[in-house]
Order: sequence, then C-alpha cells, then structure tokens
Amino acid sequence: MARTRASKGSAAATAKAKADKTAAAASAPRTYSLAPESESPPRLFIIPKTATPAAQIVTLQNPRYARPARYFVCPEAGFFECTKITTPTSAPRSWLLENATDENGAKKEGLDSQMAQDAELYAVTPIDPIFLLLPGLASIKGARSGAETKAPKKRMFMSSDDHFDALSEPNNHLSEVLRLPGLREKLEARMAAVCDTVDAADEQMFRLNESKLLDEILSKAKRMSNQGLPKSMEEKFVKKALEAPIMGIRSQPLANAGTKPDSTLSSSSTPQPDSADSQSTVSSVETSATSLSEASTAATSISSESTPGTNGSEAVTNAMTASEEIIKLQRLRIAFNFICSCYIAPSLAETLKSMLTADATKSRVDFKPLDEYLAQLAKLRQDAAAARSTDYSRKRAADDEEDERAEKRRKKEEEEKAKKAKQSRGVKELMKVNTTGMKKMSDFFKKK
Amino acid sequence: MSQPVLTLKSPEEPPKTTPHLLPCRVHHTGPVDPVEAFWEPKHADDGTTTAYFRGRKLHGKTVKLPEGYRGVVAAPAPKGDGKDGAAGVVHVDASKGTASLNVQAEFDEMVVWGHEAVADAGDPYVRGMEEWLALADQIHGFDEGKGK
Repeated sequence: MARTRASKGSAAATAKAKADKTAAAASAPRTYSLAPESESPPRLFIIPKTATPAAQIVTLQNPRYARPARYFVCPEAGFFECTKITTPTSAPRSWLLENATDENGAKKEGLDSQMAQDAELYAVTPIDPIFLLLPGLASIKGARSGAETKAPKKRMFMSSDDHFDALSEPNNHLSEVLRLPGLREKLEARMAAVCDTVDAADEQMFRLNESKLLDEILSKAKRMSNQGLPKSMEEKFVKKALEAPIMGIRSQPLANAGTKPDSTLSSSSTPQPDSADSQSTVSSVETSATSLSEASTAATSISSESTPGTNGSEAVTNAMTASEEIIKLQRLRIAFNFICSCYIAPSLAETLKSMLTADATKSRVDFKPLDEYLAQLAKLRQDAAAARSTDYSRKRAADDEEDERAEKRRKKEEEEKAKKAKQSRGVKELMKVNTTGMKKMSDFFKKK
Repeated sequence: MSQPVLTLKSPEEPPKTTPHLLPCRVHHTGPVDPVEAFWEPKHADDGTTTAYFRGRKLHGKTVKLPEGYRGVVAAPAPKGDGKDGAAGVVHVDASKGTASLNVQAEFDEMVVWGHEAVADAGDPYVRGMEEWLALADQIHGFDEGKGK
C-alpha cells in the first residue's frame, strides 16, 4: 500500500522527492519514480464518427458574442462547434486515463495510463453554419439602420464573397475554411435558405430575409420541442414555470368544476357546496382556468380526463394545471429562446422575437393561450402570496417591530443599571455635591 | 491572440482507453504507470462500480457515449514527430499557422466517479453527455436539399 501512497502523493510534489520517500517506506523493488510531467497535456474530445481525418479545428467568430471561438470543420460532415465541459473550482476534478485491459486483465500495448490535471472535455457537436454566417449577414443591416431606422429594410444584395469578407478577421480562419473543398458550397446553400437571392451575371447575390430566418429558427425550435426537451431543461423551465402554487383545497369542488365543462364561469362557480371562504376565491380562479382551456378544443378532453384522478382523496392539489397544449407552447417558446440566446446576436434576437409576437395571429405560432395562462398564473401566485402574507407574516412583522422596540428599551435600562452598579460609593456621594463655581480639575494643568 | 489551425492526426487503430473522472484534483499531468498499484475499480454483480482511491471509497457511474460519437484523447504533437507523450514543444508552422493534435487513444465510454455517492444526472459531464449531444443534433440538423 505504501507504493500506492507514494505514486499518488507524488502528484503533488516533484517526482524525485517522492521516490526518496518511497524508498524509505517500502522495499526497493516496490518503488516507482513518477515520470516527469508531460508538456503536452492530453485533451479529451468527443467527436462525431462522421468526421474525416481531413477535419480541422479552426477559430471562427462566435455568432452570439462576436468573439473568436473554436470550431471543428470537416469537408465532408460540415461544421461543428466545440463545447468545453469543465468543472467549477468548487468541485475540482481530474482525469485518470487508464489504458484498457483485455479479458485476461493483461495490459494491452499502447498508451500509458495518464493523469490529466484539468478535467476538461471538449464535446464536438454539429452546428448549423447558418448561425456562423449570421453576424456577416446582419452586420450589413447594422450599417444600414444607422441611416434610416424606420424605413423598410434596405439591405443590399451582395455576393457570398462580400458576405464572407464581412466575417473575416485577422485572427479567424474563415478564409482557410473556405479553401477546403466543398465547404464553400455548403455555406452558400445554407445562406440561400435564409436569404433572398438574385442571379446577376452568373453569380448569385444574397440578402438576408428575416422572416425566412425566423421560419428556419422556428422549425428548429419545433423539432427540438417535439422530441422533448432534455430532462433538466424540462424540469426547470417548463414544469416549474407552469406550476401553480399549491393550495389546500379539497378535491370535491375541483371535480364539480371539471364535470361541467359546458357551464359558463358564473354558473360553475355557484354550485360549490360548502367550501370555506378562503377556498371559494381559489376555486373560482380554478373554474376560470378550465373555461380558459375550453377555448382550445384539444384541452377540454384532457381536463375531463383528469377529473377521475382528482376525485380521489387528495387533500392538497395544485390550483391550476396546465393543459397539454399550453405545455407544448411553453416548450416551443423555451426552445426558441434557447436557440436565440445561444447562437444569435442580442440585437438580431430581439428583432426576431418581436417579429414572432407581432405576427403571431397570422401563420406561425399562436402563443396566446400560453400568455393567457401565464397571466392567470401570475395573478394566482400573487393572490397566494398575498393570502399568505396577510394571514401570517403581516401580523408577525408588526409584532416583531414592537418586540424590537421593547428589546431596545430593556437593553438601555440594563446598561444604565450596570453603569450605576459599577460606580464606587465615593463617586456616588460626590455626585450629590454642587460643583458650580468650583474650579475644574483640568484648570490646574493648563499652560500659564 | 491568434490560435493555429489544428488538425487531428490519427493512427490506423488507436488503442482503447477508459477515462476516469476523479472527484478530486491531482496536481500532475503525465504518465502514472503502473496504475494498477493504486487504481483498481471493482465491478460488483449488481452493476455498481466502486474503487478505493487513497482510502476513500468512490462510486463510479459509467457513461456511454451516444450513438454516432467517439471519444478521442489527443495531445499537441511534439516537435519532430517524436513519440507520443514525449516532452517537446508544440510544433507550429509559422508560415501557415497550423499545428496538429496527435490522437493517442480512443474511448467509447467514461466513468464519472463520485466520493461516497454516485454522480447524479445533474453532473455537468453526465448531463453534457446525455442531453447536450442529442440536443445539438436536434437544433442543428437541417435538410441538405432544402437550402437549394
């Protein structure tokens, strides 16, 4: 075991010192000196199998932050971004690369086992080159809008070369990338997907079309939300965001409201049997929520389906539950925002978002049910918070204030008492003497 | 600071390795053979993996790489095409600004170790592996034909 310590502990100090220590601790043949640190630390990558050996790691401009970042390009497979997965300093980690053993447990020929101090992992994942092109396409827009902010976008048609030029910087490798066979065509094809094109003198000219871009991103967001968001995202942004505050209502009034999906708000809120005062406000909100979901035909079936479940003896239920459609919309919105916040420059993302809300009525997506639901939810939360604060915390707060004042008074009195107790009898007696007209002690020490 | 263009140089059949993510920092980078002297993960019958590292019990969670991905251990190529891992200066061709990374080994799974506990799904490495790779495919997948 001694050598275990030695070779591991050696990680901290130099190899030589370690070897000496082990020599003292263990018998000579069991000591190993630690090999010197390698100056080229190994890095771990996760790369797609489609990548060919011709792939390169290059620096390109990050579309969101306009800073250089590393990308992985392959003439065959296209563009990939490198995401560095690393640990926070609060939970340090390191890699131990163990060379594989075969069935017999014997070491195979090949790589030595290694230690890597920095536990970094580079995940190379596909990226749509359209995002890489966007800063170039949009920068033209920035120059234009300075002159005429209100006028309809007067972007110029430009050749792909000009667009690429706008992206090129001394410290990025776009020109090298363009030299790789096949990639230029790939970029241009993607550019065409979000641009208006014009053929001029056997050259194609491009101009960014924002509504095309919006459609493109929206279709991405749809694909992302249809296949379900990752678990952690779903939990945090969909479930939590749509979760209504938990109320202590009996399931009885809830079931009543659910079984009469056709009744209007006023009629369904009246037949509540014997709910207490505090409950009636909550359940009226609940019924309005169901009437809200009636508006969407798909949602009604779900709400009626859910009633048998709520008929059970649950004491505590959520005051509101989101319908399937609303959850779907929320997912879509989260996906859209995620893409915008990762790959699109803030200013452009803003325009896209406002475009999405502006023409929601027309064709793309109608977020209205979701917005209504969220407004309802906000109100409900506010009510719940208000109810809680009026019930308990207000009173408590007032009490606290009073308590505090009383406490202060008591402390003051105690201090005075302590002071008095400390004074000697002589001082106390002297305090009674009338000292007016007497010379002060300090008078005797003044300079003359 | 401008970074060089890197290319991945891979031997015909790189050896396999298993990266272990230790829940501690070891201030050393380099070869640590013989590793079996201090690192002996044990696979129990019930599917759990444990190991003792300097007397501390670690629980391992094996994370398989998703379909379509492979793991690669690569290091900057030492000068003069020396052996892998040998000390040397990164070879940078000044005129072109290119350098290369030598692939030393491949892996198709990694083990995330936790001290006294199994790493949960919130672990950045586990989450990155299980969620991000799939998500990236969804976001960035596009129809090649559609653009034309």
